[in-house]
Amino acid sequence: MSMKKIITLCLLFFVLSIAYNNSFASSEVGGKQETSLNEKVGTKNLSGVNLWIVELYNNDRFMYAVVVVLVMAALGSIMAFGTDLVLKHFGINVSRISHSE
Amino acid sequence: MDIFNISLPIAGIEFNALLLLLIGFCVGVLGGFFGVGGGWIVTPALNIFGFHMAYAIGTDLSNIFGQSIGATVKHHKMGNIDWKLGFISIAASVVGLEIGSQVILFLEKAGDVGSIVRWCYLFLMFGLGSLMFYDYLSQNPARQKGKLGLSVDPINSKPKKPKRSISERLHNINLPPMISFPASGIRSVSLWIVLLVFLFTGFLSGFLGVGGGFIRMPALVYLIGVPTVIAVGTDLMSVLFSGAYGCFTYAIKGRVEFIAAFIMLIGASIGAQIGATAVKYIKGYGIRLLFAIMILFAGCSIALEQIYKITEIPAFQSTAGIVLMGTAVIMTFIIITRLFLEVKKEKKNLKLSRN
Repeated sequence: MSMKKIITLCLLFFVLSIAYNNSFASSEVGGKQETSLNEKVGTKNLSGVNLWIVELYNNDRFMYAVVVVLVMAALGSIMAFGTDLVLKHFGINVSRISHSE
Repeated sequence: MDIFNISLPIAGIEFNALLLLLIGFCVGVLGGFFGVGGGWIVTPALNIFGFHMAYAIGTDLSNIFGQSIGATVKHHKMGNIDWKLGFISIAASVVGLEIGSQVILFLEKAGDVGSIVRWCYLFLMFGLGSLMFYDYLSQNPARQKGKLGLSVDPINSKPKKPKRSISERLHNINLPPMISFPASGIRSVSLWIVLLVFLFTGFLSGFLGVGGGFIRMPALVYLIGVPTVIAVGTDLMSVLFSGAYGCFTYAIKGRVEFIAAFIMLIGASIGAQIGATAVKYIKGYGIRLLFAIMILFAGCSIALEQIYKITEIPAFQSTAGIVLMGTAVIMTFIIITRLFLEVKKEKKNLKLSRN
């Protein structure tokens, strides 16, 4: 299986989960009752990035979820790439290995 | 250490940033090395240190998703992922998971489901750990060689027929359609057997409320017959998908503490790369032995937690946390030390062969 196919499958999986969760979110938020989907966090004493995150959390939960997923994916990839470079610098080379017990 | 305390507005608590980095790093190394998400380590750890359970699970799932990206790519580069087997495992596990969660809902109506789940969890941890430990002691090639060299009388002793493993027996069941997994070196196995195994592991993860990596990895090795390092890589790939879904669904419900997940992921992604690299240098049996020890100690921690639930003495709960985190830290140290020793040995051998 090529990497392109894997990436396409991952994207498809992600889009499907967005669609599923979004329909769930919109059906729940419509009601007046306070649920985990529409509860708010106080912004008192907050500034900068913290304030931005909390405002996003309070005002648009769907965008908050998208930002969390994208930032986690980006940070995970960048850190992994950086660590790989450092390990290579120490002479720890990672290539295809033979599988033996 | 208070200067490292940061405010986590969504979870509504203050938490030590260094502790978050340490938890992330340890679970990253263990996740990359064993091919598990590590939710059974992080969630109780965050909970013990002050996170509300729902935030602990959501934050942990976000961290699992981020850390498994890099580790999965690394295992893919090393040829450790059987994609065909991985996708079958995801499909069957989802069905099993749903059945497991339905059983939980049914039991919830009947009475105290928490206690039943904890006893099952305990039984599974000790059973799995003991089985893997026994397997290491009885099957390890180095130990076998030592045994043969001791007191075997070549004239009087009858040659023993080698025992067939569970996976070999399962491979011999001829129930069409048969399927092959060339990446794992499996020539032919009934698709029904594969589906049944993953249905069962999925059921357990739905029933116990865990990601299921620590159940799937041994199942791949002992029931399907996948080499350990491919089991690690393939399991990690499944963890990536479930982590992505878990991260999104918990975030939309507002149960992900973004700042904590971000800090934890810095440590976790560094750790995951180190853990995944260590797989190249430590043999399959070594991985299984360390995994067995980790599972047994995690079982001890759950046993202490269970005693706390019965006696309500807080000391048992804090000891459970210390046992779990202590084992994770020691195991991380062992893996990193082994990695650097093996690299040193490899470099020395390379130097000698050049001369």
